[in-house]
Amino acid sequence: LSLPQFRLLRPRAIEEAIDSLAIHANNVRVLSGGTDLIPSMRQKLFEPEFVLDLHGISDIRGIRVQSNGEVEIGALTTLSTVEKSSYLRQHFPVLTEAVATVASPVLRNMGTIGGNICLDTRCLWYNQSLTWRKGCGFCIKKDGDLCHVAPGGTKCWAAFSADTPPALLCLNAQIEIVGPSEKRRVPLLDFYTGDGVEYRRLLPTELVTRVFLPAESADYRGVYRKLRVRGSIDYPLAGVAVAMKRSKNRVEDARIAMTAVNPAPVLVQQAGEMLIGKTIDEALAEAVGDIAARTAKPLTTSALTPEYRREMIRVFTKRAVLAANN
Amino acid sequence: MADFSIIGKPTAMVDAAEKTTGAGKYTDDLRVPGMLIGKILHSPYPHARVKSIDTNRAEALDGVVAVVIGKDAPNPYGILPVGHDEHALALDKVRYVGDNVACVVATSESVAEKALELIDVAYEVLPAYFDPEESMKAKTDFIHENKPGNLEKDYHHAFGDPDRGFTEADHIAEARFIANEVTHAAMEPHSTLASFELDPHTGKLGRLTVWSSTQVPYYLQHKLSLVLEMPMSQIRVIKPLVGGGFGGKSEVIPLEIIAAVAARKAQAPVKITYTREEVFWAHRGRPRTIIDLKTGIKNDGRITAVKARVVQDGGAYCSYGVVTILYSGALLGALYDIPHIQYDGYRVLTNKPACGAMRGHGTVNVRFAFETQLDELAAKIAMDPAEIRQRNLLKPPCITVNGLRVQSYGLPECIEKTVERSGWKQRRGKLPKGRGLGIACSHYVSGAANSIIRSDMPHSTVNIKIDRDGGVVVYTGASEIGQGSDTMTAQVAAEVLGCSLARVRVIAADTDLTPIDIGSYSSRVTFMAGNATLRAAEDVKKRIAAAAAKKMGCAAEEITFRDDLILKKSYGGAGDSSAQDSHEADPSASLRADGRMRPSLHGSLTLPESQFWSASVSGRVEGQILRGSLQQKRKEEGPKEWMTFEEAVVAAIDFHGALTGTGSYAPPPEARGGKHKGGGVGPSPAYSYSAQVAEVSVDEDTGEVTVHKVWAAHDCGRALNPVAVEGQIVGSVWMGMGQALTEEMIWKDGMLMNAGMLEYRSPSSVESPEVESIIVESIDPEGPFGAKECSEGSLAATIPAIGNAIYDAVGVRLHESPFTPERVLAALRAKRNAKSLNMTGGIDPTAPARLREHGGSLCFGNKGPERHKVDPARNQNPASAGGAD
Repeated sequence: LSLPQFRLLRPRAIEEAIDSLAIHANNVRVLSGGTDLIPSMRQKLFEPEFVLDLHGISDIRGIRVQSNGEVEIGALTTLSTVEKSSYLRQHFPVLTEAVATVASPVLRNMGTIGGNICLDTRCLWYNQSLTWRKGCGFCIKKDGDLCHVAPGGTKCWAAFSADTPPALLCLNAQIEIVGPSEKRRVPLLDFYTGDGVEYRRLLPTELVTRVFLPAESADYRGVYRKLRVRGSIDYPLAGVAVAMKRSKNRVEDARIAMTAVNPAPVLVQQAGEMLIGKTIDEALAEAVGDIAARTAKPLTTSALTPEYRREMIRVFTKRAVLAANN
Repeated sequence: MADFSIIGKPTAMVDAAEKTTGAGKYTDDLRVPGMLIGKILHSPYPHARVKSIDTNRAEALDGVVAVVIGKDAPNPYGILPVGHDEHALALDKVRYVGDNVACVVATSESVAEKALELIDVAYEVLPAYFDPEESMKAKTDFIHENKPGNLEKDYHHAFGDPDRGFTEADHIAEARFIANEVTHAAMEPHSTLASFELDPHTGKLGRLTVWSSTQVPYYLQHKLSLVLEMPMSQIRVIKPLVGGGFGGKSEVIPLEIIAAVAARKAQAPVKITYTREEVFWAHRGRPRTIIDLKTGIKNDGRITAVKARVVQDGGAYCSYGVVTILYSGALLGALYDIPHIQYDGYRVLTNKPACGAMRGHGTVNVRFAFETQLDELAAKIAMDPAEIRQRNLLKPPCITVNGLRVQSYGLPECIEKTVERSGWKQRRGKLPKGRGLGIACSHYVSGAANSIIRSDMPHSTVNIKIDRDGGVVVYTGASEIGQGSDTMTAQVAAEVLGCSLARVRVIAADTDLTPIDIGSYSSRVTFMAGNATLRAAEDVKKRIAAAAAKKMGCAAEEITFRDDLILKKSYGGAGDSSAQDSHEADPSASLRADGRMRPSLHGSLTLPESQFWSASVSGRVEGQILRGSLQQKRKEEGPKEWMTFEEAVVAAIDFHGALTGTGSYAPPPEARGGKHKGGGVGPSPAYSYSAQVAEVSVDEDTGEVTVHKVWAAHDCGRALNPVAVEGQIVGSVWMGMGQALTEEMIWKDGMLMNAGMLEYRSPSSVESPEVESIIVESIDPEGPFGAKECSEGSLAATIPAIGNAIYDAVGVRLHESPFTPERVLAALRAKRNAKSLNMTGGIDPTAPARLREHGGSLCFGNKGPERHKVDPARNQNPASAGGAD
């Protein structure tokens, strides 16, 4: 499959990038690692006139620990850099665990944390070639008005399938968004909409530039469990992240988030709250797993059956809670 | 002959350097001046009549040179003489989503892709058939008009007296097994470049040259001649490097014909390379197979009878289908001693891409069912699963009840060795909870004794030419596809001629240069092309020996060839005593090659042969001059005790003129099987044997299966190149594990949901287990140096070995492959009577009605697909839009 023809824009600074976005507005796609965008463009899911390559912008690359203990990760930092950071491994283990499961080592060398946060939602009826989609009939997410996953429905259920966002949600991460007139910080939790098409709150003129891990989230125990068929390469078919702080065998604070079973990564508030103040045992972990499974809405967007994937959210949540407690 | 200097030693592939450095050229790497790119328009419907095709808008696009449609080459073709049901491009009907409708030839891939969007095709959508058992019930709208009930072919065989066999049985097991559809997923996507020369007399298109990623250059030449109506002599097929075939390139694939037709119409060279999605549509993989299997045994474990009803979901064209359904029945025999066999096989057409030959062609799915059922029966009589297999061994030489001749039979040793190495007796049943061991056996043909096109032609022919400086050129039609065929050919030639491997150059698979060979499939190359090479080398050796004998003043029979020398048998250490050293007893035989045996050339020329061959160019020239004068000097000295290989070659050329030899191989008549209908498929001059033990663990909460280790013993007759044999065993186990655990083509109403390497999940290196390959050598009486096949036979044992290990680990029997976590978990739940979950409803292709609920948009009643208003197919397609508007 050939790449559609486009013009490549290579800004050297954020301001330049924002200017380009403002000019080309809806006719541009942003390229960071390209591991998802390039195959999607070959499948003609995107045929932009311009591609904005962020690689030349060096000041949003790298991991910095601020004096107040907050950690800043530039959006262009590669996933393997995040994976290899000993500081993050020591203080934010849930992120290290999650990032190490993304795709394969080769893809992590290219893929970036910003790209992983902004990853397009995925669906078996959407991530297909133009010829295939024509044969099947176009869907809501691209060119059509029907949904193959929930027939008769008007909402897109394409699954959010990145691994790092549930970990970041557990860490109460914030992201920096830069637009033509302002630079703002928003909690990552508010970034996702829960709709498969407009899956993030980001204007076409804006860029995600940085991720911040608050100092208060440091040194939480953390575990990420991912369901996939192969031990590498695969997107998650279900994923559970747990971050937990204990004092004297009791849970002082806990957060649980899931991915790949809804159109957005989901922080399961109730599940985290249920753990607080308690000593974790098998039964409690099981109960937390049940709540997470009830919150999950897996559909036939991905391989393996929805029933199975919901069941695995239950099992993986239980296991992740027990593992974080150990 | 037991003391070898070349074969039996781990040998690097002769093309290893060009492949590992990237210098080697595969078809898609090739470019010729003026070359254009072809892109194929595929059908969006699983079954439809093509009412009209309007190519005007596409042809008008800048950069488009030609648009080819079915009428440009209407002759039918197909790999089997009974299955000529394919056309280059659709004539009147399309039969699967992805069927070939038109081809655009343009100056670039992106222009060609754009032009595809501008071809207007009007279809009349027809009812489509996706499930073989439903398809067999069809009364109208047959996929091919001449195949009522969509039945490609059925066979009903009874050998012995099956009813009596079951009456005699003490225990009978009966069950349905399903093996879902898998594909080859070879690394290299198919690619073809076709180019016509101008005829020097007429100035019109003349000879055609086709470079293609194929396992069967001669079949391609033949089918091209049928479709293009050209004599075969006007068509040259060249096979460049091929990046794996596994059967997916063992027949003529649509793009190969389309590229040639397109080159003719565009009057320019055309290259087509499939996208990965197109590779899945071209397919020819292993069909989804439904097996109703019944086995009877006595209390002592002896099998009394087997009855199998096999239904294969063959897809929309015949392909190798008739052969596949016959192999499935025939290969019930020749592994164990089974006195009575009943077989009912149905090859059914459905509206999906055609299935064909895939590694372990025809045997794999039935073997999965059989080995699983045998395990169940062993459990029933509380017998060790290894022992029940040992109770049912053949006693060769013999001819099985269904007419298969077995001569060499390493299965007993294979079982013994895997049992011993895996610690089967000590460890089975004593592993921690959730961990288990399973055993299974399999076998495969070393080439088919009867070729597809019945004739008396030899299956392989090899020519050898030897140059004046002792360079040996072997011309073989056998196709190197990564399996090591060129290396095997060079080894066999060098061994017979007693020369070093570096002297041998192999020219392979070019129909203008090489003699005919029917191709690389059904694991026939080592056995057949190997034997032809051996005979060609013996032929040329005879000529050298005759000339050398004259020079040496002795009889030709007194001469022996080894280590680049021609010696009198009575001379030094090269006499009969060393020739009788057995290969097994002295594995370091090769070490002697340069050291002990090389006679000193009067102290003046001491360069060992290997150094001479690797010397620099100028050094070589000087060396040759030096050698020339030495040879002259030695010539004048009179009769010798020994000669160098070059001296002997020069003598032979001086004596005979050109020094060439030829050899060919045809399977012996007594190996060609029974006389019953369909009896031609299954017989082979020799069978390989395999036994495997798999160690797995099962996560009982998730159903995930981990394979920790596989012990795989394979009887390959003799390992000509042990490292290549081990590679083939490991590859077979790995591919079998893919089919056992993760690989499955998932369909929804004729749409392939996972036509890519991301969603079609071949195992990655992470879940690849350790494979301990154990080579067993049974020394076949007819194989070249006793060799048999080693590339396919191991695969079939892996699936049931893993399934049986799962049973040992957690006590559930899985009758449907692959054993995905959801299927395993569903089985575990059922066993525990726990809350059952509908684990397979969403993806199980046996339930197309339910899939439509999921699929939504496709509904094949009398109504076409409901299409979106911006869908271009809807506006141009009144037939399908009618229902939706």
